[in-house]
Amino acid sequence: MSLAPEVYDALEAVVGSRYITQDPVDCEAYSGSRGGHGKDLGMERVLCQPPAAVVLPGSTREVQDVVRICNRYQIPFVPVSSYWVTHCAPRVPEALLIDLKRLNSLEIDDRHMFAVVGPGVIYSQLLEEAMRRGLYTTTPGGGSQASVVANHLTCGFSPLNYRTGFAERRILGLEWVAPDGELVRMGSLAMQDDPFWGEGIGPDLRGVLRGYIGWYGGMGIVTRMAVKLIPFQPERLVPSGISPETALEFPANRIRWFNITFPTREDLVEAMYSIARNEIGAAVTKVPVFWRYIARAKSKEHFWEMWEAPGKEEEIKNSHILRVLLVGYTSEKHLEYEIRVLEDIVKDLGGQFRPTKQSDESWLKNADSVGMWWMTGGYASIEYTIDTLDCGVRGGEYLAELKTQCTPPLMPDYGDPGWFQMGELGHVGYLEFLTYFDPEDSEDNIHKVDEWYYVTGPKKDIEIGLYNGFTLQESPVYLSGPAYGPNFHLWMDRLKGAYDPRRISNPPWPADVDEVIEKVDWLERDW
Amino acid sequence: MLQLEHYKYDAARCVGCKGCVWVDHIYMPGVQFGMKCPSAACYLFDSYAPYGRMKIALAVMEGRLPYSDKLADIVYSCTMCGACDAGCKRNLDLEPLLLLEAFRQRCVAQGYILPQHRAVAERIRATHNYFGRSHEDRARWWPEDVKKTGRGKGDVLYFTGCSSSYVHKEISQSIIRLLQKAKIAVTHLGSEEWCCGYSLVTTGQVEEARHVAVHNIEAALKSGAGTILVGCAECYKTWKVEYPKLLGKSTADMGYQVVHASEYLAGLVQDGTLAPGHAVPMKVTYHDPCNLGRLSEPWTHWEGTRGRFGTLQPPKEYRRGTYGVYEPPRQILNNIPGIELVDMPRHRENAWCCGFGGGVRDAFPQLAGWAAGERVTEAQSVGAEAIVSGCPWCKAGMQQAVRESRSPVEVLDVVEVLARAVLGRVG
Ligand SMILES: Cc1cc2nc3c(=O)[nH]c(=O)nc-3n(C[C@H](O)[C@H](O)[C@H](O)COP(=O)(O)OP(=O)(O)OC[C@H]3O[C@@H](n4cnc5c(N)ncnc54)[C@H](O)[C@@H]3O)c2cc1C
Ligand code: SF4
Ligand code: SF4
Repeated sequence: MSLAPEVYDALEAVVGSRYITQDPVDCEAYSGSRGGHGKDLGMERVLCQPPAAVVLPGSTREVQDVVRICNRYQIPFVPVSSYWVTHCAPRVPEALLIDLKRLNSLEIDDRHMFAVVGPGVIYSQLLEEAMRRGLYTTTPGGGSQASVVANHLTCGFSPLNYRTGFAERRILGLEWVAPDGELVRMGSLAMQDDPFWGEGIGPDLRGVLRGYIGWYGGMGIVTRMAVKLIPFQPERLVPSGISPETALEFPANRIRWFNITFPTREDLVEAMYSIARNEIGAAVTKVPVFWRYIARAKSKEHFWEMWEAPGKEEEIKNSHILRVLLVGYTSEKHLEYEIRVLEDIVKDLGGQFRPTKQSDESWLKNADSVGMWWMTGGYASIEYTIDTLDCGVRGGEYLAELKTQCTPPLMPDYGDPGWFQMGELGHVGYLEFLTYFDPEDSEDNIHKVDEWYYVTGPKKDIEIGLYNGFTLQESPVYLSGPAYGPNFHLWMDRLKGAYDPRRISNPPWPADVDEVIEKVDWLERDW
Repeated sequence: MLQLEHYKYDAARCVGCKGCVWVDHIYMPGVQFGMKCPSAACYLFDSYAPYGRMKIALAVMEGRLPYSDKLADIVYSCTMCGACDAGCKRNLDLEPLLLLEAFRQRCVAQGYILPQHRAVAERIRATHNYFGRSHEDRARWWPEDVKKTGRGKGDVLYFTGCSSSYVHKEISQSIIRLLQKAKIAVTHLGSEEWCCGYSLVTTGQVEEARHVAVHNIEAALKSGAGTILVGCAECYKTWKVEYPKLLGKSTADMGYQVVHASEYLAGLVQDGTLAPGHAVPMKVTYHDPCNLGRLSEPWTHWEGTRGRFGTLQPPKEYRRGTYGVYEPPRQILNNIPGIELVDMPRHRENAWCCGFGGGVRDAFPQLAGWAAGERVTEAQSVGAEAIVSGCPWCKAGMQQAVRESRSPVEVLDVVEVLARAVLGRVG
């Protein structure tokens, strides 16, 4: 696989010989099987393939020229910022991979509290610079290695959303190379070189560009984005420890974690509502129990020794732990006040405070997300839902029940209903439902995991009316689209046709899961 | 010899998180100095990053990619600094560095050895030293006014290494004078000391490496000294980790103990045997040599099987870089009057490699020079007047970068600084 010589020459003329390759060894490094959700499942095994060539453009202008060349020669292209999720790997032959890591400029406007970032900037870099100025933003559960731009374009979920709101609300002015190569400056950037405002005065196409879950490379390339930053407290969080035990130490007068156990799940959920009604807290979340075991384990084997110890199943079923982060944003007194309110809520609901470390490695600068793979080597979140909290909790319980029918080959997790949390000061709830499997399992079992992931889970969502954010990302759009829309899939298709008439921006998105199902004989399309 | 197939699981299970190239997010300094893999930062394409090499290795193992010069170029343009390894093992039980080592050994076995690395092996075979200098001159660094204790007379064997024997004699001489001052009886192998073989083992030339290992170990054990003291990070790791690995043993079973001069001398400063009485007024930063820091944990031989969910039976001791020699050199510097010690943004297990290891100084001088230049820039960013290290090779690399960039920064070894403070002289 390689590009036609005239295409290669044209691209080389844009980026320079140092920043283009079509050597098969280089291209193999960009092949599918790494990253993120659903690694080793059908999409990857069936569709992903190495690109024909890779370019590393150094400016918006170069990105635009590259995209125009792709249009001229009908070359499918895939943009990549950090290459952390699977949708970066080409799923069609002869694709050009556009690696954006050279676009790594970062500027912060402290006064107006926003940052302007290139796609090559990752969260820990932005957070370090922001925190030095008393500002912060969320880090996704996927980790601080996620690109700030790509994450704002696609996901942007974290327990900290409880206070900061979701990422789509924090996108300001930006620069977008549309799939046909046209350069669109959005928000105030359209008028002057100042991206402080997302809504105006120029075009506000954020709904098209991002909507609920974004286009995963299927809608051109954002080369520069302004993102809102949120005021934090002023004290420094001092890094401590040596790998693997590194963490940010909390200033005791400003930030505190609380682990609270409740007698029942209902009490825990009631506590979440109550905390939100009282408008205290920076994060209010119930994490999957196995994450707590990962945090304690010294190795994979140690995890399994703890997880499968006699009596664990009962213990885990009855474990209802809420994790609450309180921050004295405005003053020390602010923190003291919130602690008192929390104590009252916990007392009323019969909860008990448990010891916890006053440091963080998971949310403020997420350094340990990859531990998610530790225990099995294979992971896929089957669901994320932004709805009411009740919806999230009940959805998690339904899915947990369903999961028992697919365990094994899925990892046993004793009926845990997943990760649910409050968002936007309690106005929404969030559910993420995780699935672990052994990627080295027999082919038969991997096919069963495929079925669970691409078909069984999405069908359950439709049955119980759970709106799944992964509908687009990881499930067949021609199954979920009619159920949710009813013409949601058709709108997606029309938007795609309007902005990307040649259908070259990361094809076959948004129908890649449909394509997997079409191609294989172990998944049946009955819709 | 390491078998590439033993690391197939590791290659397949790499999740592309880039923990191997970014500085630990907890310590992330920002966009500048945010990466710790010199090879990925220099060449930019993912093929030059650990996760890219994992993919490539997997394709080779699955017969999808043939060996080629380009493949060898990618496999060898890496300093084997292990930043990736410590980064990966922060969250996972994978072995990116062992995979790279096995990949190099496989390349050699397939005839893909770089001419520069072959030349080093030939020099070592012919002259027992890296530089190809006369073996007779090897022990000439020993200061005439320092009495030799000779073979078999001391508990401590000082293994000098090629660089401090032939080039950076100020390091070996400082060590020996400090030990003399502390009245420590020291043994030296004289002409029985051969190159430790780091350059051989790190480039995958294991047969040659084993040959020198067997010779050096035999000579050391014959001397009767239980402790082997080295002033070079490459020698340190080779004696402590590579020799047992080459012989299929664990460090604990080798019959000797390896200490770095900074560990040994820090003890002597701590217990008052050596008193740093002369002020050294200087703002310095400490550069953690990879082979003394994150790569220096002992080796535990492991044989077993992988089961459900990738668990190992029996469980394995992972070397995650937690217990490297990070503090002793800093303790020495902190005990010297006048010294102000500041860390660079990338330090300890996140340290940026000087660029001179892993055979890169021989085959990819441009990468080596660039990496060393980056380190000098980083030292300047914290206002350091001197970069202090614990390895003559790091010193050589960074001195070259300082010369090329006309930087005012001085490059010193920790033992030199201590010699200045205790003895009022160096070498
Ligand atoms: C295990 C795991 C857990 C996760 N948990 C969470 C979570 O809790 N919360 C959350 O918010 N996210 C989560 N994520 C998602 C993660 O944050 C995403 O990876 C991220 O949103 C996308 O950023 P990236 O750096 O991975 O981008 P990339 O991997 O570079 O790209 C992601 C997609 O966006 C496209 N793209 C990349 N750059 C651009 C660009 N500049 N313009 C247009 N399109 C582009 C790519 O083609 C690709 O399809 C998780 C991911 C993983 C793997
Ligand atoms: S840190 Fe490990 S798992 Fe992550 S990309 Fe690097 S080698 Fe792969
Ligand atoms: S050993 Fe060092 S240079 Fe080589 S891949 Fe790992 S981090 Fe990069």
